[in-house]
Amino acid sequence: MISFRNVNKHYGSFHVLKDISLEVDQGEVVVVIGPSGSGKSTMLRCINRLETISDGELVVSGIHVNGKQTDINDLRKNIGMVFQHFNLYPHKTVLENITLAPIKALGVDEKTAQETAVFYLEKVGIPEKANSYPSQLSGGQQQRVAIARGLAMKPKLMLFDEPTSALDPEMIGEVLEVMKQLATEGMTMVVVTHEMGFAREVADRVVFMDEGKIVEEGRPSEFFAQPQAERAQLFLKRVLNH
Amino acid sequence: MLDFSILTTYYDLFFKGFLTTIEVSIIGLICSFILGVIVAVMRIAPLRILNYFGTCFVEFIRNIPLIIIVFFFYHGLSVYINLSGFAAGTIGLSIYTAAFIAEAVRAGIQSVDKGQMEAARSSGLKYIQAMRYVILPQAVKIVIPPIGNQFINLVKNSSILGVVAGMELMYFADYIHEKTYVTFDTYIFAAMFYLVLTIPLSLFVNYLERRLARSY
Repeated sequence: MISFRNVNKHYGSFHVLKDISLEVDQGEVVVVIGPSGSGKSTMLRCINRLETISDGELVVSGIHVNGKQTDINDLRKNIGMVFQHFNLYPHKTVLENITLAPIKALGVDEKTAQETAVFYLEKVGIPEKANSYPSQLSGGQQQRVAIARGLAMKPKLMLFDEPTSALDPEMIGEVLEVMKQLATEGMTMVVVTHEMGFAREVADRVVFMDEGKIVEEGRPSEFFAQPQAERAQLFLKRVLNH
Repeated sequence: MLDFSILTTYYDLFFKGFLTTIEVSIIGLICSFILGVIVAVMRIAPLRILNYFGTCFVEFIRNIPLIIIVFFFYHGLSVYINLSGFAAGTIGLSIYTAAFIAEAVRAGIQSVDKGQMEAARSSGLKYIQAMRYVILPQAVKIVIPPIGNQFINLVKNSSILGVVAGMELMYFADYIHEKTYVTFDTYIFAAMFYLVLTIPLSLFVNYLERRLARSY
């Protein structure tokens, strides 16, 4: 479903992504971990072209993300994204946040969009907040709305960019629960996170990045028990002993 | 003590000018706002050629005196088209004010968290849709105070029509002054008419600002 082939990205003279090659299959949950500044988020943001790549090839659902003929809006309709800081629209209610893109981008009628929104709000456990504004919700609730907003487009793929990093510790669980449920339902997910427990429990594959490179990847049971790369061993030692 | 006979004798002229000033202000307000928003979006659109034209417009217009712009439309274009003082003045005033509004709107748009645009675009909305439904409604809250100030300036700057026979308040104040040689009182009364417009406008902007601060 996602295919990175020798992808590089530069910010000026800074080489952010170095020769990235990665395949993600349909229905797979891939968790990307690594130290800050290792290029995890940048790699994720390349998938829906929030960042452009400098060279190499990036294909999503058979479409070249950076192809000149590619209608990026069409491609993005199939890729949901959840951000670290939720990025809910503060001037719109929860329901309006969720229905905006289905109505304006997909052309769904308002009634159907609202029914879909309520369905996904129930799925993330906060249907009673439909008419609230984001500022009236806790961080965990906001992030669940953001997930519902992504799901309402019925995407083939969901991207999560550190979805729990901005949350209070007691809010993290409720967001991870929703993500686990999604994973069990077969959603293709790429998750950048520092939640090692989630990676261990939910991921089909863990990708460890450092200094713009994929240093190691493997099944979570193997990766967490016996990381091969020295940098991954050091990272896990520091993170798990924290 | 003010000579109120100036006001009572020439009340009809003052009032006629006052109505024209209101007319110019309303037309100017609408046109400059629409043009200003378009130019602001051009300045930040992800298309370099639009940025270039937007920037040229703002830098060119806001750095020359208003009277030159009005003269351009009144005298300069007279070779090709004969615009009335009212039309030339209103067009010049609208274009001049639009440059300042564009800057205020641009600053407002750019102060909206960039994650908002990312969230909107990543959900498949087109750039224009993201602007219309997500960014601009949030920017409005930020730009109300500076735009309100520009509208107050626009009302005051409408006095420029006085020099191109625009038949507004200042034109008739000049006319009354020339007829009566009563300088101080005539212009004090003219100023009062401007205050009748600008003070409520100023209060309204303050009210809007407070109301928007309470919203969401």
